[in-house]
Amino acid sequence: MASRESGPLRGRAPKPVSPDSFIIAPDDRILVTGAAGFIGSRVVETLVDRGFRNVVCFARPASDLARLEASIKGRLLGTRIEVLRGNLLSRADCEAASKGVTVIYHLAAGTGEKSFPDAFMNSVVTTRNLLEASVQYACLKRFVLVSSFAVYTNRQKSRRLDESCPVEAHPELSGNACCFAKVKQEQIVTEFAKKFAVPYVIVRPGSVYGPGHAEITGRVGIRAFGPFLHLGGFNRIPFTYVDNCAEAIVLAGLVRGVEGEIFNVLDDDTPSSRRFLKLYKQNVRAFKSAYVPHMFSYALCYLWEKYSQCSEGQLPPAFNRRRWYAEWRRTSYSNAKLKERLGWAPKVPTNEALRLYFRSCAQGGHHA
Amino acid sequence: MLKVAIVGCGKIADAHATQILRVGGCEIVGVCDRESLMARQLYERFPVKRYFTDLAELVSEARPDVVHITTPPESHFDIARFCLEHHCHVYVEKPFTLDVHQAQQLVDLAEEKGLKLTVGHNCQFSHAARRLRALVKDGYLGGRPVHMESHYGYDNAAYARALLGDRQHWVRRLPGKLLQNIISHGIATIAEFLTGDSVQVVAHGFISPLLKRIGEREIVDELRVIISDSEHTTAYFTFSSQMRPSLHEFRIYGPKNGLILDQDHEILLRLRGAKFKSYADYFIPPVMFAKQHLENLVRNARLFLARDFHMDAGMKVLIESFYRSIRENATVPIPYREILLTSQIMDTIFDQLRDQLADQSASSQSRADLVPPIGFKMPYLQ
Repeated sequence: MASRESGPLRGRAPKPVSPDSFIIAPDDRILVTGAAGFIGSRVVETLVDRGFRNVVCFARPASDLARLEASIKGRLLGTRIEVLRGNLLSRADCEAASKGVTVIYHLAAGTGEKSFPDAFMNSVVTTRNLLEASVQYACLKRFVLVSSFAVYTNRQKSRRLDESCPVEAHPELSGNACCFAKVKQEQIVTEFAKKFAVPYVIVRPGSVYGPGHAEITGRVGIRAFGPFLHLGGFNRIPFTYVDNCAEAIVLAGLVRGVEGEIFNVLDDDTPSSRRFLKLYKQNVRAFKSAYVPHMFSYALCYLWEKYSQCSEGQLPPAFNRRRWYAEWRRTSYSNAKLKERLGWAPKVPTNEALRLYFRSCAQGGHHA
Repeated sequence: MLKVAIVGCGKIADAHATQILRVGGCEIVGVCDRESLMARQLYERFPVKRYFTDLAELVSEARPDVVHITTPPESHFDIARFCLEHHCHVYVEKPFTLDVHQAQQLVDLAEEKGLKLTVGHNCQFSHAARRLRALVKDGYLGGRPVHMESHYGYDNAAYARALLGDRQHWVRRLPGKLLQNIISHGIATIAEFLTGDSVQVVAHGFISPLLKRIGEREIVDELRVIISDSEHTTAYFTFSSQMRPSLHEFRIYGPKNGLILDQDHEILLRLRGAKFKSYADYFIPPVMFAKQHLENLVRNARLFLARDFHMDAGMKVLIESFYRSIRENATVPIPYREILLTSQIMDTIFDQLRDQLADQSASSQSRADLVPPIGFKMPYLQ
């Protein structure tokens, strides 16, 4: 399953990470919000595997803990895993969660699906509450915010996207509630950092995939109006396998000397959209798809955007030029900073990761 | 220029702001939320003059003519009363208040102050719903309604997950819990066509087997109601979270003809009371129905092409009508009688459900018996 269409990312070989370079000791208290989620459960697993013995897992009252329980099963010897159910909209719950914590991995967020206020409330208001609670206790050494590639405009001249590329200045116009919420969430973290000297790191994962998360990312295509519309073409997709992503997030909370830094997270040798779709059809399930060339997808986004404007939102601005640039423009990505500063290396090579993912999708009968 | 303010900057406030901006001759002078971040995000995304975290400041500094209340229902009454006392017309999102006593107080206050009041029953102002109302008014039914059926389905998995998993969720604090937050659209559709001065209600509600399996003990998500007024107009109301398709449908039958309003697909069908002779009754009506469906398709397509087929089209019409009633001191789009009757029917349903649940837990029976019908006079409607 090797990708023949995209070469490996060029970066310096990662430096091995020594536990001596970590900012906390194994018995220090660590908080993981969104711990019951797809990535959060793997973050907890990675922390436990790395020998951290005092982890607080924060989950919503309605969250299903099966994934978290599966992740830490058999790893609990001598480890204190505390599951705290609550709502980050409650200041009292935030205070209870952040008491005595040295590192916070903040993964909990609300996508809000299509609702901007929902996404904002469950991402930004919750983050503010958590930050306010955590600054009360003087023991916080690192606040790791897990953001998203959705924040990038991807309109830079170069087709290469890295951490220095501009972030959406008008996320309210993106038509994407997640983009809006994530941009505002990053803003509130940096505001708090300035005001209260919160030592923070922002991690921006690309498209996270793995067993238990069957949907095909919109960067490959979308199912709309009947057939699957393949929009990615030869674009490389910034995939990151969930275990590799969790490893990067964990390191962002531990490695010394990276305060205030931003890290993009994506794996090496990720396949092109076309290659991924072909493998998906071969390994999971065959279905009809129609390729939409970039020129046409851009024109469609442009027309949709204009129609949405002139019809006063009769069609919501779900497709627009901002989204086209962010998701479907031909782009190359870099994970050099992640390797260099955090000493990250993918735990699971892409070929193996894809094999595991497809096998899980096939067994679960999931479909795009 | 009518000055408008929105109090409560959550999900539904977006729909209000969008539709207010589509209505001519008004501007949003302020938005308010106790959570400053929420107020600011609405202010940043819409052309709004200022944002506030304090209602008194909003009213005194932005000086709105109309206030839209889009907060959770528990706060509707206090906010609406405050706005009315400060000479603002008020649009309250559904459910109007927690009970009919609060509703009556607001109506009395509005009338005393010479202000206008409405409730967000916008489904009654969709294109198809307005066509139904016009046909009824033109006498298509052939007299007073004989019977109505209102189906209101519920299929919001994300919302349900949040509610079911959270014992502290604000919906659980409402007297009618989930039903209170949802059913007013379906009940109001019936209340509009009830004309008698007293109403009887028989409600039967239960927790669906699906919810019981996951340990839910207080959220009633299946409801069947029989309503009858003193003029012998009757109605069935069905609320279901389990029934598929999840219908939003209203049927009204008169002595001559009937009508079906399918809210989900914006379809209105006329039901002819007269029959055709012999076998013709098997062949002609299907053709007539096909023709009506085609007419609905063409009408919807025309509206879409004319850019007048928005998801919240009913809300825009309701807002426009409400603002017109303010400017021209004309009749409000939703009569106060209908608002109060809807509240009163809902109160009676919740009273009966409470009794049923209490009986169930006392006797530990798996199935509650129907309680005797509770009748009530309509003191609020005289």
